[in-house]
Amino acid sequence: MTAAPAATLPAAVPAIARPAQRRHRRWDRLCALALAVVTISWMLAVEGRQGIGRDEAQYFRAGAHYWEWFEALGTNLKNGRLGASFTKEGVLPFWSDNPEHPPLMKTLYGISWRLFHECGPNRTWHPLPASGPHRTLALFKRESSAFRFPAILMAGLGAAMVFFFARLFMGRTAAAAASIMSVAQPHYFFHAQIACFDAPITTMAVVVGFAYWKSLHSARWGILCGVLFGVALVTKHNAWLMPFFLGAHYLWMRRGDLRRLRPPRVPLVFVAMITIGPLVALALWPLMWSQPIAGPRWYFLRHLQHEHYHFEYLGRNWSYPPTELDLKLLRMTFPFVTTLFTVPVTTLALGLAGALALWRRWRSRSSDVLPIDVPGSTQASWLRPGVDVDRAPGMFFAMQILGPMAVVALPSTPIFGGAKHFMPAMPYLAMVAGLGVAWLGRALLALPLQGWLARERARRLWPVALAAALVLPSVVETRRSHPDGLAHYNWLAGGFAGGASLGMNRQFWGYSVLPMLGWMNAHLPKSRSVYWHDVLQDALTMYVRDGRMPAWPGYSGVGEEAIEHSDLGIIIHERHMTLYEGVFWDSYGTTKPAYVRTREGVPIVTVYRRPGTGGAP
Amino acid sequence: MLLALTETVSALVAPSRAPSDEDWAAAAAVVRAGFAKGDLIVATPAWADQVMRLHLGDLVTVGMAARLDGAKYGRVWELSQRGASALESGDGRPLRESRHGGLRLRLHERHAASVTYDFFQSWRLARVVRVEAGNREVMCDRLPERFQCPGIVWNEARPFVMEMGETLHRAFYVHPVRGATMVVEYPAVPMGRELAVGSGLHHAWYRRAATGTVKLRVLVDGKPVGEDLATNRSGFSVRRFDTAAFAGKSATVRFEITSDNPDHRRFGFAAEARDP
Repeated sequence: MTAAPAATLPAAVPAIARPAQRRHRRWDRLCALALAVVTISWMLAVEGRQGIGRDEAQYFRAGAHYWEWFEALGTNLKNGRLGASFTKEGVLPFWSDNPEHPPLMKTLYGISWRLFHECGPNRTWHPLPASGPHRTLALFKRESSAFRFPAILMAGLGAAMVFFFARLFMGRTAAAAASIMSVAQPHYFFHAQIACFDAPITTMAVVVGFAYWKSLHSARWGILCGVLFGVALVTKHNAWLMPFFLGAHYLWMRRGDLRRLRPPRVPLVFVAMITIGPLVALALWPLMWSQPIAGPRWYFLRHLQHEHYHFEYLGRNWSYPPTELDLKLLRMTFPFVTTLFTVPVTTLALGLAGALALWRRWRSRSSDVLPIDVPGSTQASWLRPGVDVDRAPGMFFAMQILGPMAVVALPSTPIFGGAKHFMPAMPYLAMVAGLGVAWLGRALLALPLQGWLARERARRLWPVALAAALVLPSVVETRRSHPDGLAHYNWLAGGFAGGASLGMNRQFWGYSVLPMLGWMNAHLPKSRSVYWHDVLQDALTMYVRDGRMPAWPGYSGVGEEAIEHSDLGIIIHERHMTLYEGVFWDSYGTTKPAYVRTREGVPIVTVYRRPGTGGAP
Repeated sequence: MLLALTETVSALVAPSRAPSDEDWAAAAAVVRAGFAKGDLIVATPAWADQVMRLHLGDLVTVGMAARLDGAKYGRVWELSQRGASALESGDGRPLRESRHGGLRLRLHERHAASVTYDFFQSWRLARVVRVEAGNREVMCDRLPERFQCPGIVWNEARPFVMEMGETLHRAFYVHPVRGATMVVEYPAVPMGRELAVGSGLHHAWYRRAATGTVKLRVLVDGKPVGEDLATNRSGFSVRRFDTAAFAGKSATVRFEITSDNPDHRRFGFAAEARDP
């Protein structure tokens, strides 16, 4: 492995080194681009097999409504009434859909849909009236793919950013391995393809973290970090937590000041995050323009007081904050055990190796994997608060990984989203795993190799082969998990079946019906009275728009009564949904399913058909 | 490196180790050929239950699937994978065993409890009353599919498949009433040496919505034989009360249901008088 580049060098780089540095940067950009392209291509190639969840269906709808505002803006501009788009009446009708989540990604989803969908006969299902076909670039056959495209681009950006960030700490091969390991995680991979916010906010966590790290040596990056934090604020609400994790690192880095009872001045980067960040967020969220105080207040309270949805963890259904001590303690293990069972085991082991290398660096004040910073100045500065101290990368990574997990470990925090609620930790975990790859690479080269193994070319290829072998299991596991990433657990847990036996959550929000829509289409009852359980009408509509269902399949509603009125119905297996299966037994008078969709033998969705309503049993 | 290799191979091989449709069909054919009335069929781990019923659901009645417990079954067909064993076959003697790909089929023979009275099946013979303050008894009307108690729309009692602790059981639903005792009383019950009573709180959403507890007290001919407390955590709890003193006799069995805070407490119970 090559040694860590610029960031660990003294500030003044000799002029003779600059051409080589430029060459390095060019290669880095090429690598980052390649990683982004491969990530995007991989996801585009497989996203069509992944179903539409409750939340995603709502974001499709909201995104299309947000796009309407831009159309109205164009019309108003043409009519010389531009100001009308910025009045309360010009904003609220478009931007009030799904107000509990910030608009950036939904807006991008709407724009992407409008630009790239293939507008065919199914346009009658569009949420906005279209008199004729939309003129589009028709990049995507399915409308849902057009909606999802920006999320996938964000995942590609995330892969590139992890590489760039990791390059500040490790060689190119290890950084590329870190980037691949950040993508090749089954649960992340699941979330990264869909038009939601969890992968985008994970990317933003890396972007903001990168800007913060650079700001320790550069005032310009401090300002930029404030802007980027504003963008993160309108990506997803867990952006609120970023300053706390970064602030904890900052205080640790400057702990010498605290020991000397000279508290450090608030550095530019945090000033920018507190001032520029909210202004950028406000500018990008039209719904808040007419209610800049009450709007954000409602939004904050909505998420601070969020209800606890049901979620299965270690054989229990968690649906409210536990009050008994034993349950509190068990509940606190959630993010750690979930990480242990969802992240590929080799990635975890490499993370452990990387953490060990960072710990040794801190303990011994020296390291061959990640050298100690050479101070570029003896003067502390609020503009560049990291120039006179070691920037403590170990603590930085620890805060970015353990911070999001610690918040989810609080028994009062809802856990219904599973790993996605602390997913911003995952790219940083991958970077630490990258350090583990670098450490192993050095250990390999230190072996007394002989013969052709010791030749220069072989010595250069060995680390690359090692890194490839180390990231292979994560790629294979991720491929195996698709399109049921949420039901997949790692080798340690025993895969799909092991996760089910451990009582880990299998899925949520009804996304998993897509692979069985063909069966449903072929077995629709004459009455068209179908109970779709947790599949929202918005999702069904999109399946029709995408051409996955030839016509509206029928929808008997939600709840127990909807089963009683149905002739065909599904149950999506989540622990708390068990009661609906009992309603099927009572109402249909049989326990025999008509169809069971499984993954490696584990039931994902079960279909019941009322006896005597025709077709297959 | 060894770890990476092992994990990669495992990820590639593991999918093929799951039982296939053909494995299930082959095992189902064996069960079908040997199945006798009164046999129990179980899948283990329990998450495979739906797949088992896809192949053998015509033999798995609602009563079998939503049973109180497995005590009354003398033969248990166990379809297991990943080395799991079912609770119901734990005390049995294996009669036969066969392998079908990733599935292991075992038939166990065990001592079966003799049920002298099934309270769920006999719900129409019960008397349901609401005992209010001052011991005032309010009789509930017996309708074709339920009991309806006067004065309170939701104060009803009826049998159905209830979800308690995320497992399904046929049970008699009785919503407790604040400041009153709900009584379900069965006359002339042929008693065995034991009274098995399973109870719990139905419906995950209602368990989430409140924290009250529900107390079940069981009396035989006016004498208390046992009680249980249903909480959000207790799931479906099966208690076995000693009724040896009444064995072979006919008695009145009374179930009394009270709650400190009955809001959203959808209580249900099932019971069998039996000789274990």
